[in-house]
Amino acid sequence: MSDPQQHPASFRDPAGFIFQYNGHYYRQVNQSYEKDFKLFHSSGLYQHLITARQLLPYVILKKNMTGSQHWYTTLLPQQLRFITYPYEWCFSQWKDAALLTLDLAAEGIKYGMVLKDATPFNVQFVDGRPMLIDSLSFEAYDETRPWKAYRQFVECFIAPILLAKYQSPALLKLFQLYPDGLPLPMVAGMLPMRSWFSMNVLLHVRLPLWLSSSKPSAQQSKPTFSRQKMTHLIGNLRSFVNALALPAVTSTWNNYYEETILSDEYARDRMEVVQPWLKKTDVQTVADIGANTGYYALAAAAEGKFTLAVDADIACLDNLYKEIRRNKVANVVTIWADLTQSSPAIGWANEERASFTSRLKVDMILALAVIHHLCISKNISFAQLALLFSKACSWLVIEFVPKTDPKVQLLLSSREDIFSFYSEQYFIEAFAAFFSIEEKVKVKDTERIIFLMKKVGRD
Amino acid sequence: MMQFHLMYIDPGSGSYLVQVIIAAVLGVAFYFKTIWLRIKMFFTGRKKGQPGNQETNE
Repeated sequence: MSDPQQHPASFRDPAGFIFQYNGHYYRQVNQSYEKDFKLFHSSGLYQHLITARQLLPYVILKKNMTGSQHWYTTLLPQQLRFITYPYEWCFSQWKDAALLTLDLAAEGIKYGMVLKDATPFNVQFVDGRPMLIDSLSFEAYDETRPWKAYRQFVECFIAPILLAKYQSPALLKLFQLYPDGLPLPMVAGMLPMRSWFSMNVLLHVRLPLWLSSSKPSAQQSKPTFSRQKMTHLIGNLRSFVNALALPAVTSTWNNYYEETILSDEYARDRMEVVQPWLKKTDVQTVADIGANTGYYALAAAAEGKFTLAVDADIACLDNLYKEIRRNKVANVVTIWADLTQSSPAIGWANEERASFTSRLKVDMILALAVIHHLCISKNISFAQLALLFSKACSWLVIEFVPKTDPKVQLLLSSREDIFSFYSEQYFIEAFAAFFSIEEKVKVKDTERIIFLMKKVGRD
Repeated sequence: MMQFHLMYIDPGSGSYLVQVIIAAVLGVAFYFKTIWLRIKMFFTGRKKGQPGNQETNE
């Protein structure tokens, strides 16, 4: 047994911290938060948020596991299988997380508590819905004070969502550079002329800039606020966020199955091959790389496997997320990531937020029709790909798309063919260094082959 | 200079004045909205909370 390890991202809030012990995550509540913690429960807010499924539930363990002198109590929260970061979310996820945060703030006030933190890092998606994971986010509400987390909310939620709406959803990735919130002067400069016609943009983005450019006085009197003003403010932010929508776009991939001749029949033929493998009992977690419409990821989830639907195309993921949300699909998490450029480790000492590849540990990876995009569009070698997958999974379902395939021909039509290695023989050789080939099936009416591979040797 | 000032104000208090102004604007907007709704109700004969598909007297 090892000692409890404090989570590297859990050091900012003196109210408590997350630690890992024997493979489980716990949260220590410190004495300084005792009063607020008691109020959180006695006011009925905790029960309300659990019933509304807006807070990740926990059990209270009256046991000092860290030996800390500041200890008040220990919580064992419902364990999450995978943590996603906001810069891996699609637009609709951002919006839902923002609306949840505002709902929490509004609900809290009804119970005499106020949300003191408004960062998207405190939100995770569980079974297609956003949930607050930081159970120490509320404190006793003082009606005379404005919302402490207002500026954080604007910089961490409003700013990225506005850039996504007015410029491009790809700019949501900017949050990776500014995980404490986007600087408003930068955001204001990036917003187009038409944003000047939005009263809410003027109030929440431009007004703070005008005020901050006037000289601040050191003994600024703290103006008083009221519950009604607070309710108006949160209500206004809610209608502001709710009205923000993306213009309709057609991305490279969001019509993949709908528009290609490969279409339905191809997808079904492939499913016939893959489905029995998804039923394997030693597979509990699956990652679908290049999930697209989520056809296979949803099939894996339907088999009861916890599934990561990974795609580099944010528009595809947005559609998939909305489907998951609409149908309340359990067990699937969408992740906006490009394998050739996935999320790095960031934050203090590069330890606060783990890299995508370090988090990607699953029982089975599905890599269907992605190999040609990685190898031919991005010049990744088979050996590199095999090494990456060998670190991430024990079962690999991978589709080999040969050079004769029309899609590969299309990729090659715009560039020189420097890919002499791109053949089935070299493919098998490269993967045999880490995997044994268990099955090999040709997809009906195509040259494509799907392999089922099992990792050999030690981890 | 702009960012420079911001760095010396703690994140909470920096937004106090902003929130007070926004709340005032919203308060005024709310006031006029309430009056507007009353006027509308007067002419349409609809009462608060009644569904909108009801026929008017016009």
